[in-house]
Amino acid sequence: MLTRIREVYAYRELLGILVMRDLKLRYKNSVLGFLWSLVNPMLLMLVFTIVFTVMIPNLSVPKFPVFVMCGVLPWNFFSTAVTSSILSVSHNGHLIKKVYFPLEVLPLSTVLANFVNFCLAFIVLFGMILVFGVPITPAVSLLPVVMLIHLMFTVGISLLLSTLNVFYRDTGVIMEVLLQAWFFLTPVFYPMEMLPEWAHIAGLLLPVRRLLYMLNPMASIVASYRSILYGSTVGTAAHIPAWDFTLRTALTSAAFLAFGLWVFGRFRQRFAEEV
Amino acid sequence: MTTGLSFSHVSKRFTVQHDRARSFQDLMLRMLQRQGRHLPRESYWAVNDLSFDIKGGETVAIVGNNGSGKSTSLKLMTRILTPTRGTVDVRGRVSGLLELGAGFHPELSGRDNVYLNGALMGLKKRDIERRFDEIVAFSELERFIDVQLKFYSSGMAMRLAFSIAVSVDADILLVDEVLAVGDPAFQVKCLHKIHEIMQEGVTIVFVSHDLDAVQSLCQRAVWLDRGRMMMDGECGEVLDAYVASAQEEDQDVQIL
Repeated sequence: MLTRIREVYAYRELLGILVMRDLKLRYKNSVLGFLWSLVNPMLLMLVFTIVFTVMIPNLSVPKFPVFVMCGVLPWNFFSTAVTSSILSVSHNGHLIKKVYFPLEVLPLSTVLANFVNFCLAFIVLFGMILVFGVPITPAVSLLPVVMLIHLMFTVGISLLLSTLNVFYRDTGVIMEVLLQAWFFLTPVFYPMEMLPEWAHIAGLLLPVRRLLYMLNPMASIVASYRSILYGSTVGTAAHIPAWDFTLRTALTSAAFLAFGLWVFGRFRQRFAEEV
Repeated sequence: MTTGLSFSHVSKRFTVQHDRARSFQDLMLRMLQRQGRHLPRESYWAVNDLSFDIKGGETVAIVGNNGSGKSTSLKLMTRILTPTRGTVDVRGRVSGLLELGAGFHPELSGRDNVYLNGALMGLKKRDIERRFDEIVAFSELERFIDVQLKFYSSGMAMRLAFSIAVSVDADILLVDEVLAVGDPAFQVKCLHKIHEIMQEGVTIVFVSHDLDAVQSLCQRAVWLDRGRMMMDGECGEVLDAYVASAQEEDQDVQIL
């Protein structure tokens, strides 16, 4: 696996050019350019704010727009990056059959282009934080760490799914449905604290909250963003989450990344014959 | 470092899987049907127990009919494919003119495409910068370099692709039927360029059905038939034998 990483590193300029190409093509054909990419999260934020503060007002979360944006932005990055990278290998068959290069750069560049977008979208979030007067605390210094954890997880999933799609071409369609379910299982528009600690499900007493954190790395990641940028729904200011929580999240993401790299590397040699 | 490449007992098997599920939907249906009728996997050897050694600086042609394994051999040399058996040992940097302009993107300008294609071939950005003018001058596309590629004629795109491919400082250059680029004048220019590259001591592996071009460029030829080595030797001799066998086959067909 180390040799794979070294080879991707040797082709880092190709990676850079592919990321630039993605961004250029995305923004070229629209007058508003990058502003367009902000419309989607803004609209989603607006809808959730209207639904949960006007239509169903019993979700008493202070400064709801900021709260929900802390979840919407990371989730949007994850889901768009994953959705577009699923096709990144199978759609580049013409290239894979003709030129040799480390194929990892294909899903990687797709994720990174989306990551650049995500970074730029933070301008909006910080603007909202200022407008709504959410206090910024030193906890914000952990943001790069959380973003890195988030990126590792996203790359890992993307490597896995782009490999799968080479062999089973409806992976993308299935993931569309699964991502929707995943969205509702991630605390994007509701606070984690709203979930019951324990609940009876099918006759079993299950620790719902802990289970969600354990089974869904995105839940921990979104919770981390929220903790350092927004605080908690009961009014605690932004704070650094418990170190063991962060460590667990980081290790999970690293494990997914390593597994993704391994699987991709294992099947890479068959790509040129299958695409 | 001595450059060159060797094949030792290289075989490549392709499996035609008629019955493999290509989607999860397929997979599910198959599980429901529990179908017992398994179509046998058909497989064939595109390259079968091939061994040869090409020393640095040699210009070698690979000839043979369609389906003889020429292109598969080239893909094995570039590492696009990995051998089923045997080992491919490549010493030096390989650049392939397998399919010109494979990495071109129609929405990007000629300039951006030069950088993209160069990077795909493993060039560093500053190397591309250094050679940029040379590439553009060779392609004779100075006036159009900032135009989006989708407005190029196919001949223009090919000229640009060829110029990029030959500007890669490779130790081994693989050329697959790509000399039919552009108008006759540009073709002559391409052949000159290939000669120039040969003079620099670059190893060239050349695949073509244009036997005149093969004759004029190569000292040595390898003749393949259905994945197996038929003959390996001095270019003229191999070509004569190959042509003779092709004529023989032709006669057989006429008799039948």
